[in-house]
Amino acid sequence: MSAAIESCDPVEFARLKRRLERERAARLEVETVSERSLRELYMREQELRLLQDIATAANLSQSVNDVFQYALARICDFMGWPVGHAYLVEERGDSTVLKSMKLWHVQDAEKIASFRAMTEAHDLAPGEGLPGRVYRSRTAAWLSDVGADGAFPRQLPARESGIRAACAFPILVGEETVAVVEFYTSRAVEPDEALLQVMPQLGTHLGRAIERQRAEDRLVHDASHDPLTGLPNRALFLDRLNQAITHGKRNPEAQFAVLFLDLDRFKIVNDSLGHLAGDSLLVQAAARLKGALRSGDTIAVTNDAAAAGTGTLARLGGDEFTILLNSINGPSAAVRVANRVEDALRLPFVVDGQEIYTTASIGIAVSASGYETADAILRDADLAMYRAKALGKARCELFDQEMHAVALKRLALETDLRRAVQNEEFVLHYQPIVSLQSNEVVGFEALVRWQKPNGELAYPAEFIEITEETGLILFLGRWVLREACCAVRALQQQFPREEPLTVSVNVSPRQFAQPDLVAQVRSIIAETGFDPRCLRLEITESVTIDDAEHVASVLTELKELGVRVSIDDFGTGYSSLSYLHSLPLDVLKIDQSFVAAMDKSSESRQIVRTIMSLASNLGMDVVAEGAEAAGQVAQLQSMGCEFGQGYYFSRPVDLAGASAVLIRPGWLAEAEGRTGTCHESQRGLPAEFTASKAG
Amino acid sequence: MKGIVFNILEQVVVSNYGESTWDDLLDAAGSDGVYTSLGTYPDEQMMRLVQAAADALGMQPGAVVRWFGRQAMPHFAERYPDFFTTHSSTRSFVLDLNTIIHPKVRKLYTGANCPNFDFEDAPDGALLIGYQSPRKLCALAHGFIEGVADHYSEVAEVEHLKCMHHGDERCLMRMTIH
Repeated sequence: MSAAIESCDPVEFARLKRRLERERAARLEVETVSERSLRELYMREQELRLLQDIATAANLSQSVNDVFQYALARICDFMGWPVGHAYLVEERGDSTVLKSMKLWHVQDAEKIASFRAMTEAHDLAPGEGLPGRVYRSRTAAWLSDVGADGAFPRQLPARESGIRAACAFPILVGEETVAVVEFYTSRAVEPDEALLQVMPQLGTHLGRAIERQRAEDRLVHDASHDPLTGLPNRALFLDRLNQAITHGKRNPEAQFAVLFLDLDRFKIVNDSLGHLAGDSLLVQAAARLKGALRSGDTIAVTNDAAAAGTGTLARLGGDEFTILLNSINGPSAAVRVANRVEDALRLPFVVDGQEIYTTASIGIAVSASGYETADAILRDADLAMYRAKALGKARCELFDQEMHAVALKRLALETDLRRAVQNEEFVLHYQPIVSLQSNEVVGFEALVRWQKPNGELAYPAEFIEITEETGLILFLGRWVLREACCAVRALQQQFPREEPLTVSVNVSPRQFAQPDLVAQVRSIIAETGFDPRCLRLEITESVTIDDAEHVASVLTELKELGVRVSIDDFGTGYSSLSYLHSLPLDVLKIDQSFVAAMDKSSESRQIVRTIMSLASNLGMDVVAEGAEAAGQVAQLQSMGCEFGQGYYFSRPVDLAGASAVLIRPGWLAEAEGRTGTCHESQRGLPAEFTASKAG
Repeated sequence: MKGIVFNILEQVVVSNYGESTWDDLLDAAGSDGVYTSLGTYPDEQMMRLVQAAADALGMQPGAVVRWFGRQAMPHFAERYPDFFTTHSSTRSFVLDLNTIIHPKVRKLYTGANCPNFDFEDAPDGALLIGYQSPRKLCALAHGFIEGVADHYSEVAEVEHLKCMHHGDERCLMRMTIH
């Protein structure tokens, strides 16, 4: 103390000292208040920066994982905590689980290894553990010390990892919790209220990243999936298939197969019950196919890339589905799957309250053939599917190279035929139909031949099926009808008779299905001046079973026109006699197979006899096809069959030949001498023209 | 340097030697003595105060700084009890300097220039503490450690293995707790 102060008035001195103390205390208080304010300001700034950083990351980052990885690190840095981890909420059927995203921010990986392992290995149910509670409450939560919390299931590894305090908050998209992030530190820390206030905002920002990802996923999903069935579409299927091919090149032992599947009778459902019904059938069928694949012991349908032991079911379009089977040990595995698929479709589907049965024709192509492109293997599976269909549907066929050769040939043929139709490279041949009583020609069946530019003459068996499938038949059919009417009209004029010569023209199922068939016939009759009463249209049984109402109305209209209708190849189809009875048919042609077998089997004779008596009861004329031998003709005559057609009388001949036959029928001149070589149909060719059973 | 350090120094000097001594030191150092905890003041002023004290006490400046560090700790503990209650030993307190305590100091006093330490366990259980700072205040760290040990009723023995004052790149202290 200096002398100056000691000389002061002690009272004054004490007062000055108190004043000084007051000032000092006031200064300390100001400092304290300022420190607190500054600290709070600093904290707000830091929080704002944190929020801004997270928001920016959520808006700019390409992937949810990147955003979360950044957020975990940033929040850990902010809090000064060493561990951050994210859970994703996953819906599994009816239940919800929290699953580790395996995204961590850790300062010392070794230290928390056991905690991390357990966290990643165990999903949490809602309400379970800290993240489960956060999920359920949709609010942030804080544990000052997990060791003191009874409801912390990872207690043991937490202790091993030196974890004490924990906090977690929900990531929200709207009202939905989509993820939970949790943070840990090695000290006991009391709840930081300010931070707890910030967490919901962080959760909202991070939720946007997930929301955006979801929207993108939805776009990607929509672009790669069929909207009706939700199955992968063609693009995705081809993608997976290409992956499988690439994988197969590197790992030749990894075989795979493609199943190409077409629902039989789907078009009938679609056409008769409408597209909504068709769609419903497709959706139900897709679900069953999925089930069939899932139920297998080795196959699982997955949305992931072509992983081992998995398959992809896709809808290519229409009623076509494909299945990619990865990692199979041979074609038999694919066949087993095909059988399961057939089984799955066995029970009827209920569409619009109606029970509908469908089956699948399945083609299989296996990778063992060494495919280079997805298109190639898909094409081969498709070809095999067509084979399955041709062989009677509801079955599966494995592709072989021969199918490919056949397909190539067909493609070439189709191209040639388009040209042929355009250039009218066709001629008609005529096979006489003879009265078995008088042995006189009563008319002709017109049969089309393809006069190829190289001079070769092709028979209908070689090309009719394709024209039917491609629709070329519609053009060809019209040409045939017109040509036949013209030619036979000329013959009628050349050979006038009391009963004018008739001409029979085949009409294919596809022709018959044309809504304007009757109009076409009417206009050709008018054009050619042909007497409709001499025109016979020949339809096969398959035409009559498709749509009874339509068939009946067309037949009635034709009848009104004066045209007569024959049922061709009778006995080879499935039509019921009573059903036929209800249709206005005029002529019944007994299929040549029964006539050919008459010599050898009494059963065939009995069938022919039965058919004739049926025809007579129905008031129909009968024409026996394939009459080749004198003996057959004699038998037919003795049974009272009215008309015959076949090599015994004449093979199909050109127009000049037809005139010659009319002038001098060969069978009268050299009845005993001739030996019918063979009927066209017996060379393995289906009967003439529309005898194609395509349909 | 943050004003709080000057404030604590004042408290230490006044409580040990009385208010007049602080006035004398300010005069000797040519300082007006206006220090608020929130302000930042030139390091040089602290150095001058330390030199003045050393002159007055006949001590080396380093010894003054170390003495101040040790004496300052109770004042810090009074002012910032939270830093101390979360620990129960000198060792754990020291180990948390980089990760907990200094980050908090920086939150309290924006722009605070806290040094960084590195730690290594010696085979005999001692803690090797590396220190590097342009201020070269290893003596202050030494004193702080002793003060912390006092707080936890421990005895800290700190040995300077390397020192920036002796031309080393960084200081290395060996802390043994008894």
